[in-house]
Amino acid sequence: MTELPSYENDRDFELPTPGPSLGKAPRKAPNETTLKAQQTTTLSPRFYTTNFDELDKLSIEPVRAEWDAMIAEFAADKNLGHFKRNAEWSFDPNTLPPALRQEFLDFLVSSLTAEFSGCVLYAEAKKRGLNRDLCTLFKYMARDEARHAGFINDCLQDFKVDVDLGFLVKAKKYTFFSPKFILYATYLSEKIGYARYITIFRHLEANPDKRFHPIFKWFKEWCNDEFRHGEALALMMRANPTLLTGLNRLWIRFFQVAVFATMFVRDHSRPEMHHAMGLDPEQYGLKVFGITSEICKQVFPVLVDVESPRFLELLRELLQLSRGIEAARTGGVWGRVKTLALQARTVLVMGQLLLLPTRSNDLPQTTRMSPAW
Amino acid sequence: MSGRSFEVGCTVRVSHTFDDLSAHVELDGDLPIHPGDQVRVHGQAINPPYGAVCVERRRATVTRATWFERTWTRLTGDLDCLTLFDFGFTEEP
Repeated sequence: MTELPSYENDRDFELPTPGPSLGKAPRKAPNETTLKAQQTTTLSPRFYTTNFDELDKLSIEPVRAEWDAMIAEFAADKNLGHFKRNAEWSFDPNTLPPALRQEFLDFLVSSLTAEFSGCVLYAEAKKRGLNRDLCTLFKYMARDEARHAGFINDCLQDFKVDVDLGFLVKAKKYTFFSPKFILYATYLSEKIGYARYITIFRHLEANPDKRFHPIFKWFKEWCNDEFRHGEALALMMRANPTLLTGLNRLWIRFFQVAVFATMFVRDHSRPEMHHAMGLDPEQYGLKVFGITSEICKQVFPVLVDVESPRFLELLRELLQLSRGIEAARTGGVWGRVKTLALQARTVLVMGQLLLLPTRSNDLPQTTRMSPAW
Repeated sequence: MSGRSFEVGCTVRVSHTFDDLSAHVELDGDLPIHPGDQVRVHGQAINPPYGAVCVERRRATVTRATWFERTWTRLTGDLDCLTLFDFGFTEEP
């Protein structure tokens, strides 16, 4: 077992106030002077360990032909040169209304953190692993994530937001993830990432007047990278079927519910951004869940029924509970009591989501899919 | 420094370029790090300006976790796996 440093998602991502804040405290619109000031976002890293011996034991022989074709795609690197500004990039950050600007910065910073985390996770897996197939894959995935992180960082320069990378001198504890949980979580993260970006891209393609920032024009090729990463993780799971049977079926249900619930709650916290794009967060969410679930047919033997009305009802309840918890936070002792009660109810609703009837899925003979949405 | 803590040399690489935004610490001797262990790099923060890569030799303090901490981290760490999603579940104020 060796160390695997990575970075927390935006929970520990601090943006100074005044300016873009990721906290959920009431947000004040920044004034003109603030908009012009240089701001710094501080990355606070987290370090993970995993069982690399276990990861190394994953064999990809049962899917060798599909795997080799996929690695050849990675090597061809069709997106080399895509993540550069060109004549289509025309943007003045001062044209965004303050509330939209704040949410959009929050979105960029969250995305940057996710790409940054992915890059370090894959780079460390490549460095520590001994399985040549996996090391080759992780090298290419780290390359793509670093490129995406760099591109978002470049966008942040327009807003005069700098990323502070000086976090290594703070003491950090190492936590632990099982390799199989890394596979479930990153597979879903990559595939839902594809579904999110392609849905936004197609919507803005049809409604160009709603495209308030040029970065959305880059989403199509960008999300094809995410799709390809997901393909690799799907092949790893298909090649090692014990990851998809027995008790692991329950984990697969859990991770699907967790990723859908997370996205539903999170996206509703950015109303300005969705309004500016002309997207209803709930309808957008359902569309993304449908695409993700369709893609998951390539690998998961059990699928959450995202079309069930009860599924949506429970997601709405989770959203209300999340808002209630947020409102209770500032309420002193009574607020803490209320928070505990709401959190207990949240666990119950998550349990109900997990117990909803699922759809069983016969896995196709070949795994690979095309990003055809 | 307590019995559970010791110093070790390390190489820190921080990249802040268009194509590579990353930060890595490599402890000398490929020292194994276990769940719950803690690592702190000594000295000033390394923060290269945009467009630069910085590689430095530093010292780091490693603090080993107690048996209880290691077991606890091993048992509970997986819950944090949800942080691997591209969007966090909650935001801390």
